Amino acid sequence: MSLELVEVCKNFGTKKAVDNLKLSMNKPGVYGLLGTNGAGKTTTIRMILGIIKKTSGKITWNGKEVTRENVNFGYMPEERGVYPKTKIYDQLMYFARLKGASVADAKKTIEYWLKRLEMEEYKDSLAEKLSKGNQQKIQFIIAVMNDPELIVLDEPFSGLDPVNTEILKEVMKELIKQNKYIIMSSHQMASIEEFCTDLTILNKGKTVLQGNLEKIKNSYPSEKLEIISTKNIDEIIKGCELEVIENKDNHYLIKMKNEKQGEELFKKLADNDIKINKFELKKPTLNEIFIERVG
Amino acid sequence: MKNLILVTEFTIKEILKKKSFIISTIVLLIIIVVAFNIPNIVKALGEDNFNEEVLVIDSENLFEGNIEILNQTDMGYKFELAKENLNDEQIKEKLANEKDSCVRFTKSGENVKMEYIVESGAMDFDTVPQDLVSVFTNLYSNIQISKLNITQEQIAAIQPQFELEFIETEENAAQGNVFIMMIISLVLFYAVFFCAQQVSTSITTEKTSKIIETLVTSTDSKTIVLGKTLGIGIVGLIQVIIMITVAVVSAKFCMDPEILSSLFDLSSITPMLLILTLVYFCFGYALYSLFFALTGATVSKPEDVQYANGPVSIVAVIGFYLAYFSMMNPNSGLNKISGIVPISSPFSMPLRVMMGSATTGEIALSLLILIATTIIIAFVAIKVYSATILNTGARLSLKEAFKMAKNDK
Repeated sequence: MSLELVEVCKNFGTKKAVDNLKLSMNKPGVYGLLGTNGAGKTTTIRMILGIIKKTSGKITWNGKEVTRENVNFGYMPEERGVYPKTKIYDQLMYFARLKGASVADAKKTIEYWLKRLEMEEYKDSLAEKLSKGNQQKIQFIIAVMNDPELIVLDEPFSGLDPVNTEILKEVMKELIKQNKYIIMSSHQMASIEEFCTDLTILNKGKTVLQGNLEKIKNSYPSEKLEIISTKNIDEIIKGCELEVIENKDNHYLIKMKNEKQGEELFKKLADNDIKINKFELKKPTLNEIFIERVG
Repeated sequence: MKNLILVTEFTIKEILKKKSFIISTIVLLIIIVVAFNIPNIVKALGEDNFNEEVLVIDSENLFEGNIEILNQTDMGYKFELAKENLNDEQIKEKLANEKDSCVRFTKSGENVKMEYIVESGAMDFDTVPQDLVSVFTNLYSNIQISKLNITQEQIAAIQPQFELEFIETEENAAQGNVFIMMIISLVLFYAVFFCAQQVSTSITTEKTSKIIETLVTSTDSKTIVLGKTLGIGIVGLIQVIIMITVAVVSAKFCMDPEILSSLFDLSSITPMLLILTLVYFCFGYALYSLFFALTGATVSKPEDVQYANGPVSIVAVIGFYLAYFSMMNPNSGLNKISGIVPISSPFSMPLRVMMGSATTGEIALSLLILIATTIIIAFVAIKVYSATILNTGARLSLKEAFKMAKNDK
């Protein structure tokens, strides 16, 4: 199975919201879509699902156009929405049946997911009585309850408290284990780093970075060094012409110009017979890469 | 098809549990029951309360004490002859406490002066009521004639009893019970004005609650628009059936059978007319519902719905009044036009059919235009809805919405 986007463009009047996007997801897991506000993430997602029409290009799932008939997909939009005056169970049943489930199957699935997301007690509540976080969980259930092969989650963790974030992360891990294809858009770099194997960073509709997350990180040189020593090593660091960013009880974070400076420092520490508990060349974080690319 | 049924079913459930729907239905039913009981209420309150009490001052005894005779006629007045000659102050007091009006007769030379005195005249109604003038003129004449010692035959020759008959020269003269068809037009107008508008409210609510994005990934726009129209249509029909049932029961148990049969003469309602009325009702309702679906698609905030619906409401009012005014003149050109134009044909054509003023060709053309217009409006509404689903900003003008639909290929 694979999702392919070939030279996809979307124009709103004269504005290019998505410009010549190419994307390929050919193995299960989580694919990250990153970008600042207005970068084109949601527009891309809406084009993939056919909610809005692309100006040009091709979007296919297993070689076929992505439509409700061709793909069993689940979608959790960024704009959280529920029927405020309708009971949770009734609206879950409505969406499950719209997606083709029988009443009996829908009933079983709804009960499973309400229990899994610790929402059983709200089954007969009106949606308007629920907190925003719980309404978000209902939307997550709508996205995943019909066992979709392609799941699209737009900012799934935003606005959730730590407990609910953890519950949703657990479920995400289960979905990954079930070899689901998941596209996730997020501003939370930690979530992307935690789940995504591949990603695309968009800026003003253009692709600024794309590929395997580990490979991207490895392609960047280490510019920071973390050292935990048993005694003060300020003088030795200065001798190597390195800059201390932070020092807390001999726990150093040091800025390097190149990795060679790190090797030189390591040698000097050994020569001075200083006991080192930690010595790590640090790769840039996704956050740093993101800011460097789009900031 | 399955999803169309699901959307329809969900829409019906959503409306039936709305407090506003329940309350408005109850209020309407109460109004119907009360309306059919008006004669009983009048009776219970006492008939006299509804007759104008007239004090007659005849100081010169022109009517020779015969005023009481007038109370034998059912004219809506109760006459009482003043026992003494009252001055202006006393009349004012009588009007303030007992009587609705006072008629004072005085003679000056050969002429009789009649003064009609009330506390305060109704707006635009400052003349002496013509029926009062007639009744006193007749009474006075009769008294004077009786003094001439002429025979009954001579009196009959002077005052002939005309046999009255209404004859129309046109062959296709209006037939049937206009009253009952006007009620049907009114019911359709109610359905269009109060039920069909809920289509736009329902569409806007889904935009406001942001559920729309989830919904359009679960089923297509066509199913959503048609399902809502159908769902709200069924609710409207159920409401109308309940209203008619309550009206029929109220009429049967509360109204005088004679009044009932004169008002609701069903002899002119043939099965064909009934079927045609139902067809026009359904397509008329569908046409206006889809108009409202179109306007609902252009807004995203509930407060904008009324503004967006304004033009369609005006079209509905024009359609209804076009039909209503043409009813007054069944053979006019306006009547023919109102039966053909789709905005008024659902209100007008069933009535024309009943009156026998519509030809088969006109009925066929009218239905064809109505059905074609409904399909075109459905197509446009679905197209605009699909293109404007994610518009959450300010209200779109129809021009902007059409432009978006045109670009959304």
